[in-house]
Formats: sequence, structure tokens, C-alpha cells
Amino acid sequence: MAERVVVTAVGIISALGMGKDAHVAAIRNRQSGVKAVMHLKSLHSAEFVLGEIDKSNDDLASLMGLPTGDNGYTRTTLLSLAAMKDLLEHVDISVLHNEPFAFINANTVGGMSKMEDIYMDVISPDNDEQNNKYINTLDCAESTENVAAHYGLKPLMATISTACSSSSNSLLLGARMIKQGVVKRAVCGGGDALSRFTLNGFNSLKNVDKQLCQPFDQNRGGLNLGEAAGFCLLESESAAKARGANIIAVLSGYANTNDAYHPTAPSPTGEGACRTMQQALDMAKLAPGDIGYINAHGTATQNNDLAEGLAIQKLFGPNPPAFSSTKPYTGHTLAAAGVIEAIFSMWAMEEQMIIPNLNFETPMEELTIKPATALKENEPVNHVLSNSFGFGGSNVSLVFSKA
Amino acid sequence: MTQPLYILSACAISAQHTYDATRFLDPVLSVNDGKLFMIDADYARYISPVAIRRMSRMLKAGITAGMKCLEDAGVKTPDGIIIGSARGSVTDMQNFLKDMINMKEEALTPTAFIQSTYNSVNGWLAMMTKCTSYNQTYVHRGFSLELCLLDAQLMLAETTEKKYLLAGGFDELTDEYYIIRDKIGYYKKQMPESQALLNHYDTPGSIGGEGASFFTVTNDADKASCAIHGLQMLLQPTSEALQAAMADMLSQNGLKNEDIDVLVCGMNGDSRNHFLVDPLIATCADKTTIATFKQFSGEYDTASGFGLWLVNYLFVHSCIPTETVYKQGTSDEINNVLLCNITISGDATLVLVKRNSLAG
Repeated sequence: MAERVVVTAVGIISALGMGKDAHVAAIRNRQSGVKAVMHLKSLHSAEFVLGEIDKSNDDLASLMGLPTGDNGYTRTTLLSLAAMKDLLEHVDISVLHNEPFAFINANTVGGMSKMEDIYMDVISPDNDEQNNKYINTLDCAESTENVAAHYGLKPLMATISTACSSSSNSLLLGARMIKQGVVKRAVCGGGDALSRFTLNGFNSLKNVDKQLCQPFDQNRGGLNLGEAAGFCLLESESAAKARGANIIAVLSGYANTNDAYHPTAPSPTGEGACRTMQQALDMAKLAPGDIGYINAHGTATQNNDLAEGLAIQKLFGPNPPAFSSTKPYTGHTLAAAGVIEAIFSMWAMEEQMIIPNLNFETPMEELTIKPATALKENEPVNHVLSNSFGFGGSNVSLVFSKA
Repeated sequence: MTQPLYILSACAISAQHTYDATRFLDPVLSVNDGKLFMIDADYARYISPVAIRRMSRMLKAGITAGMKCLEDAGVKTPDGIIIGSARGSVTDMQNFLKDMINMKEEALTPTAFIQSTYNSVNGWLAMMTKCTSYNQTYVHRGFSLELCLLDAQLMLAETTEKKYLLAGGFDELTDEYYIIRDKIGYYKKQMPESQALLNHYDTPGSIGGEGASFFTVTNDADKASCAIHGLQMLLQPTSEALQAAMADMLSQNGLKNEDIDVLVCGMNGDSRNHFLVDPLIATCADKTTIATFKQFSGEYDTASGFGLWLVNYLFVHSCIPTETVYKQGTSDEINNVLLCNITISGDATLVLVKRNSLAG
């Protein structure tokens, strides 16, 4: 019987701020980080609202003690560094130096946030050496290797990219490596910075809402994009206990399945999402009724919310546990969504609270269930489920339980 | 590794005749411009006419190599699909990006954006094989394929049932991508004939390549000709660290240097890698034949997939194609093969493959 895998520290930066206190305060105040654009230089910037992080690249560089300006770091890497810095506020870095560990990161477009500004120069055969230091940032692995190098860490590294489920898959791989004894610890998560590439990509798919997004609402008009980075320190329970670590949660179940239905759309009946949640519950040896809170993927696109809503209804019945999408707070942060929402789910359990789904007005015609809209405190939340679904039919569900 | 990862079938689409392995290196295809592009395969055999029209070349090659690999293994629906690619479909990424810039963010169509997503080949293969189980995409430079193999091995160790996974890697070369990487020293300035690449070990850089290599891997020993018994990924190792990792892997498997019948070496002709390659070759026993492949595949992030395809070929055919032989060893058997790949950035991977003595 493999050991339990526990979460002992988290690090996060999103449009709500950096670290737990900023996030939990914003949630309690029903305060969204989705707002008018400050930094992204898109021709559409004035039309959209985004879950953009207030800090500029120079602010982030200063935070990390790096030179400002043209320093070779992309926003993707800077956000990932900031999330790792937050995590290391809660765990002594020597823990990561002493024994072999894995660092599993995820993103969807590497350093596209920089590359899209210099691409025409980069592909011109005339050498403009100024930009050469950014060429390798095209690789998704660049931020992974840079974060490890910044902290002088030499982990077993992996980078995952499965669209919007990417960083949930990081946690899944970390848990697998720990259970199989490959490593005792793994820092798992991911980060994505806003880019014109992804904004225009989702806009060309006609699923970006120019107003604040409304997950699980009859009149939902699509997603708001956001940016974030987050990491969780996973450990085998014995390794965590041996160093007297505070255990935030047990990663008690996880599942990865594929819809095998369509390149971008989920199976409309929610069959794939339902199977994924069921498998994650099975691994955790829990019944649907044991779950106290579901952090839904809830992108507020037509397709996702219908499929996911039907799946929740099918698996949990007409009276499901409180569920909400936290994307109205942060925007859809793509590769980071899985880990930051896993973190929100663990905080719901730690704080014994139900996180309300903002911007909800009208229940969906196809559903008999609706998301939680009121902040509830002192709720008995002992097990939580967090969903992440992505392009390519990629579905991941994670279950966390109280230690 | 605690349990062997059996290779049931392999399929590669590359710059050589690998898709039709009966013609492997007959003839050797060589270029003098440093760009070894893939030979197109019969994509329409697996992909419908409607779908194929909108697909980029890499997508077609990835899907076709994956489908053929499963067909060769007699597996219709695998128990999981795990794919590595450092850069995904480069053509789709650059097309969407340039359209966005040139059309000033207006009137864009989503096809290239969707296909540029790193897991789009995963998604298509899942749809085409009706595989609703595990699906994963690794995008870690020169470790992308090896991470797939590691994940597959870990996943199979979790079960006692016989499971069949599709694991593979692909990466694409484009003229534009060549310009980009040329700026940071990936390619030789004076370009030799590609098949003579390894005679030009005195200058920095390599030659460009691309390809898709897929493997049906399983915990079922019944029909596989070989199995992976060791796997190591080393980020910019010193020569000593590479040697130590190799020695460690061999000793864990009860082997010594002289037990290696063939070293399949992913040397890429880059003078900056001498310090890793030379000691590796020097420590090879007289028995060991050294075979090389990057003069045929070109250099790309998942080129080790071509190397692993070649390893599987050696076991299936029980012979070493003379064109690949860098140093002839005295061993007349092929029981233990070590694949060592070395990337432009100086990362190294080791894969130990042994003949499957349990094959039924």
C-alpha cells in the first residue's frame, strides 16, 4: 500500500495578489481581480477585462532581486519565480536541498508574452543580438529551468502542457512519483502570463466575454482570461511528519481522462467530466456525499459549463455539495488554473468556508442545480474536489482531504 | 527502474525511410543545407479527407506515426497516450502569431491556434483510438520523450493488469525555426553533407532535423522483443556525472561496461559536446559496437526517439546496419543496448534496453 501524499506548503500569485492572506481577504470581500487592462499591449486591450496582476515586469523583477528592464526574463518566468518565492516563505529551502525532489511545472505558451513583441525581428535573418537572449524562452521548459536555477536547486524536472488542465497534471505526476518512491517531495504547479497570442486565440474562438464572466449562468457570454502562477509542495506523509511539517491537506484522489470527443469542445453530455470526478473519488475511497465543496472548472463558456454542470448533476444528484467557479476572481489563468484552484479548494477546507461564485444571476435552463453564491463560514468541509478541463479533451479532477 | 517497460512496436516518421522500415537507409538520404525534413508518409491512410485538409504537417505526422505504431502492435485502443514535444506544432504557432501581427489582431481564424496547443496530437489520437483513459503531454526540451517513458513505467507499476500505452515524441523543423535557432548557435556555419556530420566534430553546432517516433509500451512481456530497464535524465552533466550515472545504471542491472553490446550514441557533431562524448567512447569495451544516428535524423529536441526506434530495430532485426556503425565491436550478440543522447545544450539522457528473454 503506497503512502499518502500530503500538501505542506503553497505559493501563489494571481490578480488577487500574492500569498494566502491577500487571496482569502479578497474572497471574503467578494472582490474580483478581473478589471480593465493595465499592462497587456493588445489592440483589444480597451475592449476586454482581464485577470491581470497589478505588478509590472519591473515590479516583479525587483521583488525577485533581479535587474529591471531587458533582463532576459519573461513575465511567465517572473510570475513562476514569484509563486516559488511565496512557497519558500513557508518552507525552509534546505528541505529541497537535502534530498532528491522533483520540480514539475506547467505552462501553455512558454515565454510568448515576450516573444510576440519581438517575433518579426527574431525571424529576420539579420542578427539583432539584443533579442537572442529571449529565443530559448519559446520553450515551455525555460521557466522551469530558470526557477530551479534561480534558487540553486537541482531537482528532477518536468514541464507539462495539456492546455487548461496543465498544472493539475503537475500535481498528479508529483503524487505518482512520490507514491512510487522516485522522490520524497515534489514542488508541483504552473504559471501562465497573459499574452496577445492567447487573448486573440480565445477571441478567434468567440468565447471571450467582454464583461465580467458569469460561470453557470444562463446568460454567460464566455471567459475572462487571467494570469497566475502557483506551486504546492507535495510530500510523502512520512517525510512530512519526519520534519514536523504542518500538513495543509492530503491529496487523496486524482484522475486524468480524455473525452476523445472533439479538439476543443467537451462531450456535451458531460460524460468525460463525470467519469473523471468518479475516478478521483474512487481513488480517495469517498462517496459523492463526502465532498463538502467543489471548485468547478467553470470557465463561463457555453460548452464547458453545460458539460460540467450536467456532470456534477449526474454524479452528485439534485442536491450536490456547494460548488463554485473561482474564475470570476482571477480570470481563466490557463495552465495555472489547476493549481491555483486546487489551492483555493484547500483553503476552503482550512478556513471551513464556501467560496461564492460571483456574477451569477440566472440558473441555466438545462440544469436543476446552481452554484453557491453566498460566502459561508464555519461550514464542515472535510473533502474538496477541484476540476480542470482543457482543449484536446483533457480532464483532470483532484480530491483533497483534511489531514 | 523497478520493472521493465516492454516495447511492443515502434514507428518513426523521419528524414530517412523509417516509416517503411524495410527500406531503412536504402538509400541514405542526405542534404547539404542542414535541414533534414521528414519524408511524408501515407497520412490519408489514417486521417479522413475532411480532417486532413486543415491539419499541419506535424499534426499529420504525429497522428500517423502513433496510429501505425498501435496498428503494428495490434492495439486498437491503448490504455493511455503519453506524448513529448519540446515545441509542438511549430508551423501552427508561427502561422497564428504572424497572422496576429500582420492582421493587427483582427479577423483571425482559430485553426492554427488550436493546433498549436501542445496536446493537440494527444487529443486527436485519443479521438481516433477512442482512448478515454490517461492522456499526458510533456514539453521539457530534450527530456520530453524520456519523461513519457518514465511516466509510462510508473503508471504500469501501479497495476497488475496488462496495459498497453502509446508513448512517443515529435518535433518539427521549419525554415523560420531554423533561422531562430541558428542565431543561438544550434547549427554549423559551414554546413557539411548531413551524412558526413560526424566527420565535422571540430566546429560548433549541428544540423537541423525533425520527426515523430512512437512506441507501444507495456508490462506484458509476451510479444515484445526488448524492454527498457533503466532511464536517466541529466541536466548539463559534467563528464564525470554522466559516467557515474552510466556506471550506476549498469550496476543496478548487474551489468558491466563489457556487457554492453551496442552503444547507440546521440552525438550531434557539436564540438562543444566533445567533453561528454569522448570519455564515453573511450570507456566503451572492445566488445561494444558504437552506432550513431544524428547524421540521419538531424538534431532536434526529441531526436532520442529516432535513437530508441533504432534500438528497437536492432533487436527486431538482430543486426546493426553498417551505415550506423561508428566503431565496430567484437560482440556478435545484441542483448544489451545503451542509448545515450546528448543535446545541443549539453543535457544527456541514458536509456538501457535489454533483449526480452521472456518473449512468447
